[in-house]
Amino acid sequence: MKKSTKTLEFKFERTIPASPGEVYDAWLDPKIPGNPWNAAEKFILDPKVDGLFYWTLKGTCHYGRFTEIERPGRIQHTWVSPNTLGEESIVTLTFKKQGEDTLMTLVHSDLPDHEQARGHEKGWNYFLEIFREQFGNGSRKKYLWEDAHPSVKK
Amino acid sequence: MNQLTDVLTAISHPTRRAIIGQLANGPARFLDIARPFDTALNAVTKHLKLLERAGLIEREKRGREVFISFRGEPLREVAGWVHEYERFWNARLNQFEQYFKDKKEKKEKKR
Repeated sequence: MKKSTKTLEFKFERTIPASPGEVYDAWLDPKIPGNPWNAAEKFILDPKVDGLFYWTLKGTCHYGRFTEIERPGRIQHTWVSPNTLGEESIVTLTFKKQGEDTLMTLVHSDLPDHEQARGHEKGWNYFLEIFREQFGNGSRKKYLWEDAHPSVKK
Repeated sequence: MNQLTDVLTAISHPTRRAIIGQLANGPARFLDIARPFDTALNAVTKHLKLLERAGLIEREKRGREVFISFRGEPLREVAGWVHEYERFWNARLNQFEQYFKDKKEKKEKKR
């Protein structure tokens, strides 16, 4: 189905001190901190092609369907939440051996470009740089789930 | 326009970003600010007005002179406004990376 709005894409990279196989397995293990399922109050996870996932935290539900599962190099799944306006966005993870480490890349694409997402695009990297110079590394606001999801703020 | 839009507009122009960079070193007088730019003083005045509207600079009279200084607070507020998924994935991935770093550190300590 054709998307009704313009879309955004975000890319993240981390170098993880472990082999691609270990990193891949940890990403799909709900007991390991940092993967999406680990934070959930309730989750369903069936990591195989056409397997589904569901997880919820503070009343916000996320759903998706695995489209690619290729241990240890690649995972792709769809991602639907209130923040995607009900549309399917795509999350693609790749794990590449880099010496003794793994270069892990996460791309979240096809995110609807709605009002809240649009504003920061102009020069975001630039002002973050100034911000870092001006206030030092430790002063950035700590990430809070509630801040990212004001609609479920109690 | 709300303040977020004002701040984003203010930092969207290279000259205004250069002015911010200059003022980050400390307060300066109007002519000192304008000197490095190959542009009319009138244009610099307009840039300063936009920065002032965004709350990114303030003017202070010292004797006969007016000093212009940089205010970082609006940038701090805007920094908290990054896309929710940018924040979400960064937070999750930082935690994930930290788990492996801690694991490696423990392993090395045992040796």
